[in-house]
Amino acid sequence: MNASSSPRPGSAEVRFDFEERTLDNGLRVILHEDRSAPIVAVHLMYHVGSKDERAGRTGFAHLFEHLLFQGSEHVGHDEHFKLIQNAGGTLNGSTWFDRTNYYETLPSSHLDLALWLESDRMGFFAPSITQEKLDNQRAVVKNERLQSYENRPYGLAFETVLQLAYPEGHPYRHPTIGFMKDLDEATVENVHEFFDLYYGPNNAVLVLAGDIDTEDALARADRYFGEIPARPRPEPVAVPAPSLEGERRETIADRVHVPRVYLMYHAPSFNDPEFETADLLTHLLADGKSSRLHRELIYEKRIAGEVHAFIWPTESLGMFFVVATARPGVSAAALEEGVLESVAGLRGGRLDDDEVGGARNRARRALVGQLNSVGERADAFAHAAVLRGDPGYVNEAFPRYRGITRDDCASLAEGLLGSDGRMVLHVVPAE
Amino acid sequence: MSGALDRRRPPPVGSPRPIELPAFQRFDLDNGLRILVAESHKLPEVSLRLIVEAGAAGEPPERGGVGALTGRLLTEGAGERSALEMAAWLDRLGAAFSAGVGYDVATLSMHFLSDVTGGALDYLRSVVREPAFESDEVSRVRQERLDEIERNLDEPSVLADHRLIRTIYGDHRYGRPAGGERETVAKLDADAIRQFHGSRYSAAGAVLIVCGDVAGTALHDAVAERFGDWPGGTEEAASLGAPPDVEPGGPVLVDRPHSAQAEVRVGCTGLPYGGDDFFPATVANAILGGVFNSRINMNLREDKGWTYGARSSFHFRRGPGPFVISAAVESGAVSGAFREIQAEIRGLVERPPDEAELGLAKNALTLSLPRQFETPSLVTGKVATQQIYALPADYWETYVDRVDEVTRDQVVEVTRSRLEPESMTLLAVAAESDVRPALEELGEVRVESAEP
Repeated sequence: MNASSSPRPGSAEVRFDFEERTLDNGLRVILHEDRSAPIVAVHLMYHVGSKDERAGRTGFAHLFEHLLFQGSEHVGHDEHFKLIQNAGGTLNGSTWFDRTNYYETLPSSHLDLALWLESDRMGFFAPSITQEKLDNQRAVVKNERLQSYENRPYGLAFETVLQLAYPEGHPYRHPTIGFMKDLDEATVENVHEFFDLYYGPNNAVLVLAGDIDTEDALARADRYFGEIPARPRPEPVAVPAPSLEGERRETIADRVHVPRVYLMYHAPSFNDPEFETADLLTHLLADGKSSRLHRELIYEKRIAGEVHAFIWPTESLGMFFVVATARPGVSAAALEEGVLESVAGLRGGRLDDDEVGGARNRARRALVGQLNSVGERADAFAHAAVLRGDPGYVNEAFPRYRGITRDDCASLAEGLLGSDGRMVLHVVPAE
Repeated sequence: MSGALDRRRPPPVGSPRPIELPAFQRFDLDNGLRILVAESHKLPEVSLRLIVEAGAAGEPPERGGVGALTGRLLTEGAGERSALEMAAWLDRLGAAFSAGVGYDVATLSMHFLSDVTGGALDYLRSVVREPAFESDEVSRVRQERLDEIERNLDEPSVLADHRLIRTIYGDHRYGRPAGGERETVAKLDADAIRQFHGSRYSAAGAVLIVCGDVAGTALHDAVAERFGDWPGGTEEAASLGAPPDVEPGGPVLVDRPHSAQAEVRVGCTGLPYGGDDFFPATVANAILGGVFNSRINMNLREDKGWTYGARSSFHFRRGPGPFVISAAVESGAVSGAFREIQAEIRGLVERPPDEAELGLAKNALTLSLPRQFETPSLVTGKVATQQIYALPADYWETYVDRVDEVTRDQVVEVTRSRLEPESMTLLAVAAESDVRPALEELGEVRVESAEP
């Protein structure tokens, strides 16, 4: 492209119109019109996650995610998947520390189908749950745990990370999938209690995104969800800030060929004004082959085979991860030393403007790539509404990244990435 | 929308909007490079894919993996720039680049914001046309690749996939992963890379597919400026011999001590993309294991609770890629899983789908089409498929009709003729001590080590 026909680099803008309304029963509804394709995303996010589970009942929010696909009063046992797939739709659910979500994207002519299914399991779930369904999905979840954690290389690191990061009794300390023992002890009565407490309309956000007319879609949402009564609001769980004193470390063995090192730092949460800056530090460290860890550990020192940096967008306490996998023959200790040196490079004024500018560009591109389908946009609106209380954040994120300076990065790195409160996990080959 | 709400049955369906697929402009350059552009100005992003006739199927047998290594080396020094300078260039643009090398072709993919389109095309030109392949960089990247091969085999699902294709295809190229294996990759040097690049990376047969916030003719001009003098060479689509007839033996057990679960695979030689039986096979697969509600998943997961999920798929390629059924199951359920999977394949012949089941499979394939074309990268991916397999120009426009035409009898016939459960390979990656006695019930167990 010649210069005259190209927009100025860095000028790209992103903005999504939306409306937010609240039904009489407290269900918040977010409506985003995009009529470019004849599809609609329906996303229902409940403000309940693994952090709301009590000791001895871990894994409930996630087990629920499974049970909620097993039918409700008016929806047959295997009908949910069948009806959505028969409409050409896709569906899933997921569970996180702070929230659980259920979503489908389907042809817009089937909007009512998704509303009927979602409202039926919100308003008419309880009578349908049976011991047989519980037993079956408990077995499925146990196999999910075996497949995704226990039989996967480095798969048990996650649980150890949580134990390093949070003290006994902390709501973020146990994994969302739960412990086998607790899953074994779950009863139909426990399931009812948990449902009654957390799955009311006033503890949820519904997002309709795509080929809709805002007022028409709102009326449909009200028609299906409006008659479901509000429930007492659950007490929010206290999430105490962990101690930032000293360093905590652990080593575990696994069926792997090479060691992996995890460095973790307590970081700004998804709600924090410095969240985007912290996220930008992950781009500076490990996004792209010129990023610090790639260049220094893979290209120059040749001690790592893979490097990653990411931040958990949690509601209350953030967690900043740097993960490096060793090359054969490199010890976990030597790898850790290298990672620490690279991380230190973000502190002490050694960043340059070009490097930060590149990271900003990569972060903005990644953001656009994460918002280009109506399903992803619905997800972003739901997260912003549930975890930040403000769906408008979806439109603020893009300009926020653009405004981050080198000094912002350096000063956050200075406070964040030191040894106080740092956690270190080595996963080493067994034997 | 008036009247009382009746929750007892699914709501009526609204009137569907017709499917509109993106319109592409086509430009053919004199050197053979074809450019396909679809404008989409919803967001300031661009997805681009350059397809080059440089897939693994065209590799000399003793150089398995040379295509994948070449793809990885394109970015590691080009023109006047070193590997680090190339990385800094791409990263400052904020663009993403990847070279995916499959059996059929190499696909160079980029995603970037439209405000850097010119710079992204400059970068693409450099990596495609003037990669340096310096010996030091070749040695470094080869070692990275060997390390990666070793790491990947820690993943039991990857190990299972690799051992399955080896059992099904033997010495045929489809018997080894597209990225190659340790033995051949270890021997690749800068000469091998340069030779492969020199003979395979040319404008002949190459297709550049772009979708996003661009203007069609301006994009054509910008591409012609950078690729108009890219030499055409001679286009020779790589040809592979027919896969061997491997005699099915007893179940293969890849012994991975201390496994917490078992990865099971059932597979055989499948079909090429777009060939005879393609649409009946696609529908049969959707009924058998292609979607959540498929028979195998409903049986193994929703009835038995043995697995988090089971699925089947045809790996359609220019040649007959494998048909594979996969699941990770609890170790105690291995032989049961094999039996049930075989029974479900037989069942598709013995208990043909009724209208509702056949309709669901077709709807899952066809009504999902607008969703499958929603974003620029999905669009370029779909068009890439049409181009790589030389499918008719109206392939996606007529896709719904072709699927809808499939009859129940065709589903039964394609299952009967192409999927014989008795001659399929059964393979498990598990701890021998956990599963061997149960597997003995299914035939003479062939035990392999998990180590290469």
